[in-house]
Amino acid sequence: MKEENFLSIIGKHQAHLGGLISILEDIQTEYSYLPEQALRLVAQETGFSLVDIYGVATFYKLFSLKPRGKHLISVCSGTACHVRASSGVVEEFEQRLQINAGETTPDGEITLVTVNCLGACALGPIVVVDGYYFSNVNRQMVGEIIDNARAGIDRVDVDTDERIFPIEVSCPHCNRSLIDKNFYIDGYPSIRVTVSFGRRHGWVRLSCLYGSYSVEQEYEVPIDTIVDFFCPHCHAELSGVSDCTSCGAPMISAFIPGGGVLHICSRRGCKAHMLDLHGASL
Amino acid sequence: MKRLRSIEDFESLQSRIMTDHDAAVPTIVIPAGTCCQASGANDLIRVAKRELLDKKLTDTVRLRITGCQGFCQMEPSVLVEPRGTFYPKVGMKTMARIVEYVARDEVLADELFMSPDTGEQIERQEDIPFFRNQVRTILSRNEKIDPLFIYDYINNQGYSTLAKVFKMADPDWVINEVKVAGLRGRGGAGFPTGLKWEFLANQANGHGKFLVCNADEGDPGAYMDRSVLEGNPHGVIEGMIIGAYATGATGGVIYVRNEYPLAIKHLIIALRQAREVGLLGENILGTGFSFDINLVKGAGAFVCGEETALIRSIEGKTGEPRQRPPFPVQKGIEGKPTAINNVETWANIPIIIEKGAHEFAKIGTENNSGTKIFSLVGKAKYTGLVEVPMGTTIKRIVYEIGGGPVGDARIKAVQTGGPSGGCIPADLFDIPVDYDSLSKAGSIMGSGGMIVMDDNTCMVDIAKYFMNFLKDESCGKCFTCRKGTQRMYEILDDISQGHGTLEQLQLLEELAQVVKDTTMCGLGQTASNPVLSTLRYFREEYLAHIQDQRCPSGVCRALITYSINEKCKGCQLCLDACQQDAISGKKKELHFIDQSKCIKCGACKSVCKLDAIDVV
Repeated sequence: MKEENFLSIIGKHQAHLGGLISILEDIQTEYSYLPEQALRLVAQETGFSLVDIYGVATFYKLFSLKPRGKHLISVCSGTACHVRASSGVVEEFEQRLQINAGETTPDGEITLVTVNCLGACALGPIVVVDGYYFSNVNRQMVGEIIDNARAGIDRVDVDTDERIFPIEVSCPHCNRSLIDKNFYIDGYPSIRVTVSFGRRHGWVRLSCLYGSYSVEQEYEVPIDTIVDFFCPHCHAELSGVSDCTSCGAPMISAFIPGGGVLHICSRRGCKAHMLDLHGASL
Repeated sequence: MKRLRSIEDFESLQSRIMTDHDAAVPTIVIPAGTCCQASGANDLIRVAKRELLDKKLTDTVRLRITGCQGFCQMEPSVLVEPRGTFYPKVGMKTMARIVEYVARDEVLADELFMSPDTGEQIERQEDIPFFRNQVRTILSRNEKIDPLFIYDYINNQGYSTLAKVFKMADPDWVINEVKVAGLRGRGGAGFPTGLKWEFLANQANGHGKFLVCNADEGDPGAYMDRSVLEGNPHGVIEGMIIGAYATGATGGVIYVRNEYPLAIKHLIIALRQAREVGLLGENILGTGFSFDINLVKGAGAFVCGEETALIRSIEGKTGEPRQRPPFPVQKGIEGKPTAINNVETWANIPIIIEKGAHEFAKIGTENNSGTKIFSLVGKAKYTGLVEVPMGTTIKRIVYEIGGGPVGDARIKAVQTGGPSGGCIPADLFDIPVDYDSLSKAGSIMGSGGMIVMDDNTCMVDIAKYFMNFLKDESCGKCFTCRKGTQRMYEILDDISQGHGTLEQLQLLEELAQVVKDTTMCGLGQTASNPVLSTLRYFREEYLAHIQDQRCPSGVCRALITYSINEKCKGCQLCLDACQQDAISGKKKELHFIDQSKCIKCGACKSVCKLDAIDVV
């Protein structure tokens, strides 16, 4: 844990409304809990007393003072879920994971929590695993949900998954195709772009399968680095018009021949993307 | 996006967008709110895109991803415009077929909604009883708009009412319209919105004033605010800009609970786009009027829905309520005058300006004008979000829209108003749903949660559930709330375990009254409602627990036993489902539950297909 990471989070918020809560939220998102070192730094930098910060950190349910597991399983215990027997679902998770709600498995893999209401009440009981929602959950589904969580919820099988399909993309400036027929990824021709980050400049090839995150690169781009993308033909920058809603980095855009725009986040490791079929007409 | 510098700029953009838009082009609408995504809408979107690209249909068939339409039970669903064809519970294979049929302008008949009563297929969304019996003034906008594109909102008359207000150039007129419309706060208390605005407008504007959108929808079981924010964020933003213009507010805050990631995402995008086109920020549309909105995320505390606690939370502090007066409209955020309205209230503002106050006031009943969205959930056949005129009877909502009970069960009550509300028994279902009638019946309107309970729901368990919730969520400032909710929970727990006494029941009623009378904020003052209303209407259930050691609904574990009856055919499903190895029996022979091992988890009953498990 680096001090400068905390300092940059603190610096982002100080002036805004709700500064303290926003700072703690960002630290919680980044580290999945509030490390003591971070809270001491927040006190030092913002002038709030440590007591006040501890008060806020323990008042709100979102914050945890203990490290959380790699995967977070939240079981909704709102009224609608309760009348449809969500307490049995919690119990089943507790039995199978051998922990109580609010605890983390000894191997540090899974944290189980109950939440008051996730707002999908018509489909209760609801369980959310790492941001992925399961509806109408019953005790029998619990084992499979845990297996899914351990395996990684957004894992896809590019060979069998029918939600995955190849797309063609072209440069919005010179209109030439970005598809590289000489370099295959996931069994399909890849998308070739050039990127620069820091002082490095090289190629990156992305899977052309929508929904696959496979990538090959000339230089290893460190996770979280924001990268500039360029067309390999005309060298124009593939800049977009919007920022990523997940991480705030700029989104880059490429055209889909036949109509539409593909937006992908320029931050390495961020999986945000959007395929807008009618974007070109706007 | 080009920044708009005048009202004329806006109007010409709007008319250009509307002229370019050809409503006759077949459009596949896939709702993708949180609940839709939970049932697989994202998969449908991918398949639809795959098919449209693959079959080269992107020019002839449009795809629109929208917020929730409200018929959550039938998600993931697909709507096809302009015909209005509704396909419920669509799978990925069916999605591909729908694309094919839409391209040929045909209806995929075997996938339409089928009425369970008559067995007939219903093609159009508006003919399905769930939709037909509603008045969807606010919710119907969700399916028209892709919330990620401000131009889509503008294409649907979006921001026209703001332009109208700017043209009138008379803030008092706006306040008067809202007053005449009779709009009352949709967050639960029902305070007249126009009056609140007038108070704010009359405050001196020395150091700024604030408007807040309360989107801390903490009531478990209510989710209309999430749906509106996800599906139509610009509607709320437009309402707030109009409110700011009317009251002279200089800053806005939308306080959203952290449990709503999709609503937060859509709001971030909507606010950014509104700023980019010049509808938020300095000198909006060249009128000289400036206003911007900040998004503040909650961090998980039910009490922050209370307005003084919400203000403290916005300031970055622990969300403890404080004494009123001074009211927020006198001293709110950072001591500045602040008016707080709920999401649904804000979403009603553009509708009032568009329809006109008198037209708006015609919907609903006297003193309770307009529509209200309810989340009809729990043990009803059709669950989802329903929007009806104020004053509609509970019976109509539960039976005509919700389709009545699930299976053979008998509906015995609805719970409204969440932890601050109460249970209304089935024999009072003829009362109209409005602020006054509900509070007369011992409950409250609240934010609009309506949880249907049938004879498998134990009222003692429900009271215990809410008290458990409230004892955890009490901020602890008033000791009668802190200790009172705790003690009431303990008594209810005793009763549900079969240890309750009649003296305890008396103590429970006394405590409930004390907590009600001696606490400072709304959370404490209403904390007793779940207990008092269940005692009022379902006292016999309490007595059954106390005197007969019996839970009539078969819920309270300490008082029930599971056994297998002669309907059992020995299929062994229950035997496999039991984690405790409490069930024994050979294949094709009657099974048996060992009571010493049984933990009464109900796993056996949930898998049995022959109704062979009795709970007594």
